Amino acid sequence: MKPATEALVLPLLLLTVALLGGVRVADRIVFAPPPLFALVLGIMLLSVLVRGRVLAPDRLMNASRSPAENLNGLVVMVGAFFASTQVFNLVIPDSGLPFLLSNVFLFILLLNTMAGSHDRVSVLRSLAVITGAAFVLKFVVLAALSDPGETTLKRVLYAMLEGVTLGTLTQPVLHPATGYIAFGTLALFLIAVWMLPSRPQSVALIRLEE
Amino acid sequence: MNDRVIRVFGLVVSICYATFILWLYVRQPQTVAEVTGGLTASVGAYRINQQAFDDGLALFRRDEFEAARSAFDRADPAGQDARTQFYIAYSYYRSGWGRLYQDDEHFKKGLDRIDKAIDLAPGGRLVVEDPELDIHNGDELRAELVQGLRTDASDFNPMRVFRKRK
Repeated sequence: MKPATEALVLPLLLLTVALLGGVRVADRIVFAPPPLFALVLGIMLLSVLVRGRVLAPDRLMNASRSPAENLNGLVVMVGAFFASTQVFNLVIPDSGLPFLLSNVFLFILLLNTMAGSHDRVSVLRSLAVITGAAFVLKFVVLAALSDPGETTLKRVLYAMLEGVTLGTLTQPVLHPATGYIAFGTLALFLIAVWMLPSRPQSVALIRLEE
Repeated sequence: MNDRVIRVFGLVVSICYATFILWLYVRQPQTVAEVTGGLTASVGAYRINQQAFDDGLALFRRDEFEAARSAFDRADPAGQDARTQFYIAYSYYRSGWGRLYQDDEHFKKGLDRIDKAIDLAPGGRLVVEDPELDIHNGDELRAELVQGLRTDASDFNPMRVFRKRK
């Protein structure tokens, strides 16, 4: 990995995700710190990235590297943890039943990914699906339900959720800009994760005896 | 550029950026002026607009509190000067004060501002030496605002119509 990528590009990308992950635009701008469970999910995601060979910590920090190189590696790893935490802070709904269910589903999905995916491409695909689905749930479905106006999507969702007490589903109404910021943040996060130093699949060379 | 220079530069930039992010989450600024003002105040370089402050003070002394607040807000757009915030809180106290009842909205806003002023004052001790004021101390103004927001038996005392605005 080029020194500029490791020392500048990756830390700035990851820290930007950590910054934007907590931004909520409503009647005022709020920088929301992550809930405790987002820290747990962040650790789990980091573990998924390591097991799935997306992130190779030994390529960032090892005894053969200089102190400056190791410090850059440490910044990337710490940045990756905070960015992961803030991504969950971003896509998990703020309150009520959706908050609880999202936490449970994300926990199970991460456990499943941890157990099942051992190659880089499938982990990256899985990550994109998990964060993308959570984004759609929070910023499209729940936002439509919580919107005080009457939209077509809201009417369709009302019909589908007939019998469910909507008070448990509705969320604080956010400015539309929050959704766009969230989308950009997720895109930045996926780019940063894709750029992380990975561990190639190990290949065994075997001589075939005649 | 030398690899080592790039690495050290990246490290410094990352630490500064991370500190800035942490500061944003702790201070929760709402405007760009609050961000820049907060950062300059943290290195002791923040200065209020003295002309706007003097205008605000003149308006305050003429009991034109709405206009005074506009001038004070212009003087301290980042909300980083304890003395200006004290005057804004005082203006809310005076415009919310009534012989028969207090305007709770004004008192609540005044309480927010005086809390901010006390937070900004070194060691939380805020004293404004202005001979034209009856209250010189941040804690005293705060107590006055809290008392105004509280509903108790003294609110029904008919003698309260004779009390004096501070």
